[in-house]
Amino acid sequence: MHQNEIDVRREWLQNHCPELAVSTEPAVLQSHGRDWTRFREPRPAAVVFPEHVEQVVHLVRVAAEHGVPLVPSGGRTGLSGGAVAAAGEVVVSLDRLRRILDFDATDRTVTVEAGVVTAAVQAYAAERGLCYPVSFGAEGSSQIGGNIATNAGGLRVLRYGLTRDWVAGLSFVDGRGALLECNAGLVKNASGFDLRHLLIGSEGTLGIVVRAMLRLTDPPPPRAAMVLGLDRLDALMPVFRAAREALALSAFEFFSATALQRVCAHLGCAPPLAEACPFLVLLEFDNPDGEDGLSFAAAIYDRCVETGWVREGVIGESATQARALWRYREAIPESIAAATPYKNDLAVRISRVPDFLAALDGQVAAQYPELEVLWYGHIGDGNLHMNVLKPDGMALEAFEQACAAASRSIYALTRSFGGTISAEHGIGLLKQADLGYCRSAAEIEHMRGIKAVLDPAGIMNPGKLIAVG
Amino acid sequence: MKVLVGIKRVVDYNVRIKVRSDGSGVETDGVKMSVNPFDEIALEEALRMREAGHASEVIVVSVGGDECQQQLRTGLAMGADRAIQVRPEGEVQPLTVARILLAIAQREQPGLVLLGKQAIDDDCNQTGQMLAALWDRPQATFASRLELAGEAARVTREVDAGLETIEVDLPAVVTVDLRLNEPRFVKLPDIMKAKRKPLEVIEFGDLEIAPDPSMAVSHHAPPPPRARGIMVEDTAQLVAELKNRGLL
Repeated sequence: MHQNEIDVRREWLQNHCPELAVSTEPAVLQSHGRDWTRFREPRPAAVVFPEHVEQVVHLVRVAAEHGVPLVPSGGRTGLSGGAVAAAGEVVVSLDRLRRILDFDATDRTVTVEAGVVTAAVQAYAAERGLCYPVSFGAEGSSQIGGNIATNAGGLRVLRYGLTRDWVAGLSFVDGRGALLECNAGLVKNASGFDLRHLLIGSEGTLGIVVRAMLRLTDPPPPRAAMVLGLDRLDALMPVFRAAREALALSAFEFFSATALQRVCAHLGCAPPLAEACPFLVLLEFDNPDGEDGLSFAAAIYDRCVETGWVREGVIGESATQARALWRYREAIPESIAAATPYKNDLAVRISRVPDFLAALDGQVAAQYPELEVLWYGHIGDGNLHMNVLKPDGMALEAFEQACAAASRSIYALTRSFGGTISAEHGIGLLKQADLGYCRSAAEIEHMRGIKAVLDPAGIMNPGKLIAVG
Repeated sequence: MKVLVGIKRVVDYNVRIKVRSDGSGVETDGVKMSVNPFDEIALEEALRMREAGHASEVIVVSVGGDECQQQLRTGLAMGADRAIQVRPEGEVQPLTVARILLAIAQREQPGLVLLGKQAIDDDCNQTGQMLAALWDRPQATFASRLELAGEAARVTREVDAGLETIEVDLPAVVTVDLRLNEPRFVKLPDIMKAKRKPLEVIEFGDLEIAPDPSMAVSHHAPPPPRARGIMVEDTAQLVAELKNRGLL
């Protein structure tokens, strides 16, 4: 988009939304014009910061009238380019819609505006003796609206499910500028299509979520974590089954030794295990005071060693040590960030994970020996994060092309395993062209049809999730 | 040389402390309990001494009800050779704990007593100092570095002005600070091994110690909530508000 068109758009904003806080500062355009991905240069016309829901309603209404594309923006921690504005769009930042509106101890719900940071909801719940259990690495920056738009999952899906499972109700502004209140906290509501669930995971393409009522639950019991070293991939599922039978698991995470090496180099710390094992799993489980959870853990360990599934293991009993063990897994994304990782966020049925992983690893190693591949994932929910690292000296564009080519063959394999090309990151900009690998033509056609109803002018996050036309 | 390490069971460092509504104490129901982090560091240091050949035996000792056996077992799983639990009668304050540790030290004759500089629940920071005085042996508190040199220990202490290095004759009492080391993770097979290590229970009454009646806790209360802040328009108003409150 030419500069003069951008200027026209800025003038339009001034004329039609004079009440709205607008920024055209280069630094703000840069920061709010993208998420954590770095494959597109941000180039929004402006960033607006509505402070009230009515301002969002008005903005969308006039934008629909004049065909001005809008990109909703939350904590900008996305990994698929869903919040990237690279074509002169107006970015709608939810940063200033950040009030916690209501708390109900009987319903165990909290009602928040979309811009409230995930960790703030967690802290608010904790202060009231409750827990908002959706948790992931970016929770200190990510916002509830964005969590809903991507149906964020994270580290304890095994126990608590996804964001979807905790949304008791939501309000959104559709692409025509109408404010809709969906479900408002009802537990049972058999009265037709549940538009709330349509909005969850819609990546800003159907409307802008402005408020949400979230369910809260009991605070977690004391927990311990352990890290086990595995020699073989096919030991993964037997260990998972053995652990799940004997322990109340809240997480079962997997990472490769190559990922661990990166983390140790990044954090400057020693590895958790004395011997180098090619695969590691991190288990977190309930360990109530006075019960002998650790003996259960030790018994499982003994069994897994006897059968040759596990070579070595350590346990973090205190919360501090459990956190230290979690760091080995949680610090993977930051420790590889400098190598511009090309992220694949794949999922298959839990039972098929080891076969899928083995097939995938073999295929990538054979076809793209020059690329370093690093694995981690949430085995407990079938989700694998495959990170391809840019070799030093390779140009970003060449790297992206190589990865895109590799991705096609990865996606084809994923399809043959009945999996999805995006488990929790979303399709966004980066994977939009590949949606057909996990959704049928008929499904995509219906998705387009639904979008046309809710967003007839096509202004809601255009070019994301479903290809235009 | 034997090394005696004190271990206290406390509410885990990461738990948000809640005072019971009747003021009788802090909430511990369903709350994660752990080894006092400073004590864990003391134990780690003792284990490293044994691994380096400077210590022959590491003994962990705790004063508390049977629930503290869980923390002693953790100490054994980390690598301590044996454990001693002293079962008290009623509430104990630092002076009583120091007297108990003295009795154990006289019995075990350790070359070194390693304690956390304080426990994170009551933050008393008294037991080590009192023990050294009662035992009439040197003390080195807040250790961030500890080297053994024959019959003495060279200890780097974290003091207000920076670091201070002193030498103390052994036997001595050393209390440890956060930066001394990073405690190890427990290896899973060692949890079962720890169950077979000796854990001796001693009744307080058998030690013939006078409990210290000079201090008792009357009640617990949470700190007052922080007053809400105000937003000022400019520096002039900021200065005026500070003056109003007598802060300038």
